[in-house]
Amino acid sequence: MASLIALEPGRRPLKFLENRHLLTLLLVGALVWSLAVVDWRGPLVHSGGGAAASDFLQALFPPELSTDFLRLCLVASWQTVSYAVAAITVAVAIGFPLGVIASGTAYTQGNLRVPAIVRLCLAGMRSIHELVWAVLFVSAVGLSPLAAILAIALPYGGILGRIYADLINDVPDPPLQALRASGASPMRVLLYGRLPMALPELVSYTFYRFECAIRAAAIMSFVGIRGLGYEIQLSLNDLLFSQVWTLMLFMVALVMVVDMWSSRLRRSLVS
Amino acid sequence: MNTAAANPAHLVAATGISKSYSQVQALAPLDLTIHAGELVALAGPSGSGKTTLLYILGGVVQPDEGEIVIDGRPLRRMRPGKDLAALVGLVHQNYDLVPQLPVIQNVLAGMLGQWGLLRSAISLLWPRDRQRAEKVLAELGLADKVLERTSHLSGGEQQRVAIARLMVQSPRIVLADEPVSSLDPVLSEEILRLLTGIADSPGRTLVASLHSPNLIRRYFTRVIGLREGVLQFDMPSSGLTDDVLAQLYELNHRGELDRPGTGEAAAEVS
Repeated sequence: MASLIALEPGRRPLKFLENRHLLTLLLVGALVWSLAVVDWRGPLVHSGGGAAASDFLQALFPPELSTDFLRLCLVASWQTVSYAVAAITVAVAIGFPLGVIASGTAYTQGNLRVPAIVRLCLAGMRSIHELVWAVLFVSAVGLSPLAAILAIALPYGGILGRIYADLINDVPDPPLQALRASGASPMRVLLYGRLPMALPELVSYTFYRFECAIRAAAIMSFVGIRGLGYEIQLSLNDLLFSQVWTLMLFMVALVMVVDMWSSRLRRSLVS
Repeated sequence: MNTAAANPAHLVAATGISKSYSQVQALAPLDLTIHAGELVALAGPSGSGKTTLLYILGGVVQPDEGEIVIDGRPLRRMRPGKDLAALVGLVHQNYDLVPQLPVIQNVLAGMLGQWGLLRSAISLLWPRDRQRAEKVLAELGLADKVLERTSHLSGGEQQRVAIARLMVQSPRIVLADEPVSSLDPVLSEEILRLLTGIADSPGRTLVASLHSPNLIRRYFTRVIGLREGVLQFDMPSSGLTDDVLAQLYELNHRGELDRPGTGEAAAEVS
């Protein structure tokens, strides 16, 4: 937050927000308060939940593995991934240019107002959860894939933009100095210094967000898009827990594949 | 200084430049003129102000006081981009290349002062002026590393890439901050040969900081001694004896340091 408010290096309003003890104090206070308001005399856990949980667990042995259902899972996974890819693509298209502007490195230092305003916009985009965006977009464009994609892309664009700005700012300075000494303008320093040096981190964080987008795309079933979440919902309604397990295992597999892919890619970028 | 009369065109003329960092004086007010064709070595212990002086001459650091005129134009009024890059180039102690880029891109970065933005951006994908970079790299024995990732190169090779960037930039004044401090003797000689080679053509000069009296005598024409930001001597490098240099590096008491200059060297201060 401090970077959001710090408009000029000299005058920093709300400087007390930079105090780390303040945050610690607030967090500890919140914990103590929440423990204090718990009703310790009554049962903390719903007593009937145990039976339901064991039903659900038993359905894992085995999960539904019929060929037809596996085929349905594959199709659903494909749908979820394609929505996630569309959403993250739009998010990068929003987040990258805004992140570069918010980093304040693209042009000569001096006017820090534009980066500050862009940072505010990014904060606004990501402060609203994708489900809330989904509700807003559904009322605007109706139950459609477009609503779901935009609902994920907007907050993710806000998050990516913010992280991109930080990563672009936090590269080691000496190589940048050397580029400036060769006559490179800030924009050229960005192209030849900041972006290449930040690239591994940029890619790896984008992939992490892509994993999150897969999860979010699965959740978007309730604005009418098909995919893993939609099938999970259908199976749950019919209390077919073994099907739910299969679908969830597909979900986990998807995220693991993306994780493996990104770490391989990152390694090739770093070494 | 007889050369000053013979060649009135000073390539670099600094008057009264000084610099302090918080309370510490990095450089006491200093006058310095350098002529085209001179090869100037800066000697002095760590913290003596060599790097500060080089950075001020390179326009990287602004002096607190004083003015620098390069090739008849005040440094202060030069635009940091292409104006300055055509006149002054700086090699840093740690080469300071972008490790993630291929070698050729680090070399072509020497062109960024001259290239337009579009050309710079396109070159990142399809290198422009490729032959020029390849020719320079071949001269430096790096012909087979053109597309190698810079971080895969050894320290000595990276140093040569930094010099290749400088050769492509082709500034009239080459400033080098401890270019051979971390290199073995053979490589040191090679790097100094390359650096003095850049300054060899007419109208150019080299200013480098280093510690070895042998290398100073062999590769430079003039040597300037600095200690705690104060000029101790300024003489032809042929006159540099090991004694003079030992005195410069000697760990004196503070009281002895307050004397202006040390020994015979004081006579040489211009």
